[in-house]
Order: sequence, then structure tokens, then C-alpha cells
Amino acid sequence: MTLLDSHALDGAGNTGTTPLRLVSAEIMKIRTTKSWWLFLAGFILFTAVALVNNGFSHHYQLYPQHDLSDRAQALAQAAQARTPAGVAAIAASMMTSGQFLSVLFAMLLGVHIMTSEFAQQTATATFLTVPRRTRVIVAKLAAAACFGALFWLIATIIDGVTTPVFLHSQHVSTSLTGWIVIRSVLLSLLAFVGWAIFGTGLGALLRSEVVSVVAGIGIYAGGFAAVELVFHALYQLDRQGWILAAPVIAPAVASDVMITPGRAFPHAPPQWVGAAVMAGYAVALTAAGIAVIRRRDVI
Amino acid sequence: MVILLAALVLGGLGWLAWRGHGRDTRTGDQPLRLPARPLGGKPIPPERLSGGLIVVSGLTKEYRGSKAVDGLSFAAQPGRVTGFLGPNGAGKTTTLRVLLNLAEATAGTATIGGVRYADLDQPIRRVGAVLETSAAHQGRTGRDHLRIICRASGIPLARADEVLELTGLALAAGRAAGGYSLGMRQRLGVAAALLGDPQVLVLDEPANGLDPEGIRWMRGLLRTLAAHGRTILVSSHLLGEMEQLADDLVIIASGRLVAEGTVASVIGSMADARRTLVRTPQPAELAVALGSGAVVTPAGDGDVYITGVDAVTIGDAAQRAGIAVHQLVTQRPDLEAAFLQLTTERAAIR
Repeated sequence: MTLLDSHALDGAGNTGTTPLRLVSAEIMKIRTTKSWWLFLAGFILFTAVALVNNGFSHHYQLYPQHDLSDRAQALAQAAQARTPAGVAAIAASMMTSGQFLSVLFAMLLGVHIMTSEFAQQTATATFLTVPRRTRVIVAKLAAAACFGALFWLIATIIDGVTTPVFLHSQHVSTSLTGWIVIRSVLLSLLAFVGWAIFGTGLGALLRSEVVSVVAGIGIYAGGFAAVELVFHALYQLDRQGWILAAPVIAPAVASDVMITPGRAFPHAPPQWVGAAVMAGYAVALTAAGIAVIRRRDVI
Repeated sequence: MVILLAALVLGGLGWLAWRGHGRDTRTGDQPLRLPARPLGGKPIPPERLSGGLIVVSGLTKEYRGSKAVDGLSFAAQPGRVTGFLGPNGAGKTTTLRVLLNLAEATAGTATIGGVRYADLDQPIRRVGAVLETSAAHQGRTGRDHLRIICRASGIPLARADEVLELTGLALAAGRAAGGYSLGMRQRLGVAAALLGDPQVLVLDEPANGLDPEGIRWMRGLLRTLAAHGRTILVSSHLLGEMEQLADDLVIIASGRLVAEGTVASVIGSMADARRTLVRTPQPAELAVALGSGAVVTPAGDGDVYITGVDAVTIGDAAQRAGIAVHQLVTQRPDLEAAFLQLTTERAAIR
């Protein structure tokens, strides 16, 4: 036996790249650095904070404070909240606690999955191993989607453990397997996966880690305020109803429309429109990112 | 909402600041523990040898109107070490990156066994590459870096440990690559290149950062692989090392080929680079005695170099003219002299 002999290769079955192996390698890339623990820790922290915040909010919804000026209206709302539909809505809200910020972590992880290849100069090794770049990016999207789903699962477990305790403490009860709750939780999964893919596509398009993070946070957090301002101004100029529904073209608003049972805001389009807009952004960003990465030289 | 947004921004900034946190900043090299066992290995079967032929044909690569590589053509043969030489900015790295599909050619082709790298069925089972920028993630261990490549290409993960042992990195396998010295990173690159036991090895300045023992080990490894029928294309600026290592040479300058052939033929082509060192108290008289066929240039300490005539002619002429000669040494050109002569005209640092 000499050094260049290989037991491992001699005993190897079919070598070569397959989609599953590529996705597995991309997941391994995430697992083998410390970054993802930071994402996970931040995400759990924000979920916990949001859960507490939601808990207080729903507590005061069910038990209005005595010194409210419009106490009569608050009592009426409390009575409404105590109906089976009201309690189910509270349960759905508790079961998706922290979603607003948690999906942001999923998006940032997606950005990181893509841009760290360039920031760390590992893109050369990656594209030497798999020169067909589209396959690599698709595998990264799949890995990001897996981690988005994992984040969702963790959030759902945390919320799923906490929500019954909260409902019990508030002396109300409902089934967590009711359709309203299940639908909210499943739509939440879509949001996690969608934003993770969105982040990966954004990273592929922009390649710079810092620029992508700033752009991602800007699109997500600034999206609400910016589109509200713009479309409100447009509505003042031309009072057409569709202008009030149009903010759904912003990814953050689309995501909110998608996950909110009923109407996310007055004149909001149906949930499927939000889902379609989110899917459109994810596909468009990914396609643009693939086109850019295929064409550009790896430096 | 304001608190949430502030937390969001702080979280984002914190993450950006943290990215470098986990890096191991140790820079000390560990002593090389290169294995003493013979390298051995399996020869490439004769019918598969042609699969390792590298052919670069009319290759041109432009960057914003400037030609980094300009109509370059050469071949690297299986079973031989081909040295790829050129001054800084000559286009060596660009050529290798185009060959490996990391950059797109403006014109021309670069193939391995007649196939573009991007079209190879299992690239890392056919070609191993060590490039300056083929870095590992700073926060990832050397072993994990290799295992990821194994995972993506369907190679058993145990192969990572084999190449770590082969390159003397077994003891550092569990350390973050950010803490590796330059030499260790270079060996990790070699380990990655050997994962698929490839038929072709492409190396860009592989001796960078290696100590003398590491360089000797690398030379032995590449010579052994070539002896097994593998194709070795290696760029380097260490001319003395290349003279010992390479069978063939490809020399480029300003993106163009200036010489190609065996080491002996490239050096031999520099006939006028052969010179004679003469120590004499009467250099001016000797120049007159030799006539117009000889070129006499000062060599310091009163010595002169004479080109254009050989040592016998110089000795005879000195004897006839009664000129004392204390030393007469024929200096054969080496690779450095040949390289400098070949590239001086075209050399350009870009």
C-alpha cells in the first residue's frame, strides 16, 4: 500500500454529481461554519420576544384595561375575541409569533449562503467541483428552502408549546388543529421558504454580502413604509380603488398579504395574490442571479 | 415598531461585525509531517492517456479592450510535467482560469482530452486544480472543506482523510482554515486537487509559501504523478525549481507564446546566450585580436564576457597576440538566462 493508492476510491460506488448530493453539500456548507448558529440564536431570541409581545397584546385584547377612554368599544372587542372564531384568530396569531422578524433571518441566511462564496473566495473551489453553475445555484436555493423550513419548524415548535399554555392562562381554549390555525401555520411555512429563496436570489444578483444584506433589510423593513407613502400620494392624485391595493407589488407587503387571514389592510387583494407576487419575486431574482453568475468570470 | 426596527438594524450590523469572529487567527505553520512512505499509485492505462491531453488553441481573453491573453496556442502532454512560465501579468493565471471554465474566453478554445472543462462528466475525477484563489472558508476546518467537495461529487468522505495524510495535514485537519499558514493552505489546495485521483493536474504557483522540504515533496509528488501517465501543467516563477521539475516548457509574455518545447530545447535555442568568462589584464587588446565577430562586455572585477566566438577561438587568438589569459570559462545558458532573453522584449507588468 502506497500513499497514492486509495481504499476510499477503490471502494467507491457511482461517483459524480447528482442534485441530491449537491443540495446535501450545500447544507453541509452551512452546518460547518459558525455563522448559522448566530442566525439560529438571533431567530430564536426574536421569536421569544415576539411571543411575549403578542401574549401581552392578546391579553389586553381579552381583558381590556379599566382606564380606557373607549372602554365600551374595548369590551365589545373583547367579547368578539372570546367567540370561537376570535379565540381561533388569537391562537393563529400566537402560533405564528415572531414571523415578521423570523422570516428576515431566513432571508439573511439565504443571502449568506450565496454571498459567502464570493466573500470567502470559495466560489472557485465550488465551481471547479461543479462547473455547471446553474446546478450550484439551484442547489443553494434548495438548501436555503430547507433551512427556511427548519426555522419555521423551530418557530412552530416554540409557538406550539407556548400557545396552549398562554390560552389556558387566559381562560380560553380552542383546538390548535383547527383550519384557521393550520392555514396560518402553513402560510407561515410558505413565507419562510419564500424569503429564504428571495435572499439567495438577491445574493446571486448582487454578490456583495454587505450590499445584499442592506438591500434585503431595506426591501423587507423599509418596504411597508415606502410603498404606503408612494401609493397614498398616488391615491391623493387619482382616487382609484386599485391604487390602494397596489402596494402588494412590494415584496414585504405581498408577504404580509399572503400570511394574513382575511385582509392584511383595507383594500388588500386576496391571499393568493400576495403568494403569487412573492413567488414572482423569488423566480425573477433567481433567474436574474443565475444569468449574472453564469456570465461573469469567477474572480 | 420603532424598537423592532432598531433591533433589526442592530442585529444586521451585529451580524456583519460578527462574520469574522469565529476565525482562528493563528498563523504559525506546524512542522511538516510529510509521510515517508513511497507515493506509488496506479499508472493511467495506455488507452486512456489521450484523455489527459491539454490543448489551448488560439486563446484570447480581453478585459475591457485590453488583451490579457492574445491568440495563445500550446499543448501539455500526458506523462509529462509542463512548466508554464511568464513574467508577472503575462496571462498565465488567466489562461488557467479559462481552461478551468472560471473565466470565459473571448476567442479560441481550451480543452482537456478534447472536451471543455464545463462539459467533463466528472470534472474533479478528471482534473485537479490548485489555484491561488481556490480558498477554503476561513471558519471551516480543512477536513470539512474537503468533505464538502467529496459530498458534492459523490466521492466517499473517507477520501478526505487520505489526502490530508498524503499532504501532511492530518494533525491540522480539525482546525479552521483561517488559522492555516500560507504553506498549509497551499497543501490543502493540493489535497483538494487530489481528491478525485485525477488524470490531469493544473497548478498555479504551487510552491508559494512552501518551505524547502515542502517544495521537494511537491516535486516528488508531481514527478511521480507524471511518471504514471498523468498530465501536469504547472505555472511558476521559480525558474530554478522549474528547471528541475519540468519536462516541457511553455513560455509566454504579454499573453503570447514566446517559446515551447522540452527544457533542453528551449535553453538550447538560446545559442547566443552561451558566453565565455575571460580574466585578462588586456581586455581591449583581446577584443581587437578577436575581430568583429566577438562581442566583449564587462563582467566586473576586470573580467569580461565574450559572446559570438567559442573558448577555443578566444584562446588561440590570445596566444597569437601574446595576450595573457588567467581564466577562460564557458558559461552555458540556464533557464533563467533563456527566460529573461525570451521575455525581455515583451515583458510588461500590468
